[in-house]
Amino acid sequence: MIRKIILLTALLLLFATAQAAETSTSIPIGDSPTLGPEDAPITIIEFIDFQ
Amino acid sequence: MAAGPTVKQLLATYPGKIRIVIKNYPYKYRDFARIAAEASLAAREQGKYWEMHDILLSRSPKLDRASLIAYAEELGLNVKDFTEAIDSGRHAAEIDRDIKLAESVDLYNTPTFYINDRQVIGERPFAYFKKIIDQILHQTGG
Repeated sequence: MIRKIILLTALLLLFATAQAAETSTSIPIGDSPTLGPEDAPITIIEFIDFQ
Repeated sequence: MAAGPTVKQLLATYPGKIRIVIKNYPYKYRDFARIAAEASLAAREQGKYWEMHDILLSRSPKLDRASLIAYAEELGLNVKDFTEAIDSGRHAAEIDRDIKLAESVDLYNTPTFYINDRQVIGERPFAYFKKIIDQILHQTGG
């Protein structure tokens, strides 16, 4: 029973990690133009085309 | 296209809580997309990036070379230096780096936003952004 629970938990974790990897992309900020405090809790990166 | 007013509204709604980062992704088949990106970075050299950014968004699609130079003049930039920068493609490497970055994450639309790594494609209403931001702030206790 305990082994089953451990296995199930492990599978769930694996699934959750895979989902997270799919929806989350880390974009490096580099030396791009920024506005607002560096330690802001929210960073919005915008890919822009002015035309 | 870009979503200037929405981003502005977000900044005003969450003072001190949002940082905006701009990556250039000029569509190669639009005549003035690339030179407009050059213009924004040329203005940045002279400390007026956001002023130029705002003008470009509000006057788009009027972004031909002569118009860009007129905007530089309007902002009180050193026009000679600005013109040299856009004519020589002084910031081409920076723009190309951004384009490569966009392509590396299979991005084909502008505007595309990443809100703390959450991808939002295309223009969306203010409420759409607000919901995501409130969620993140709630999770992080901000």
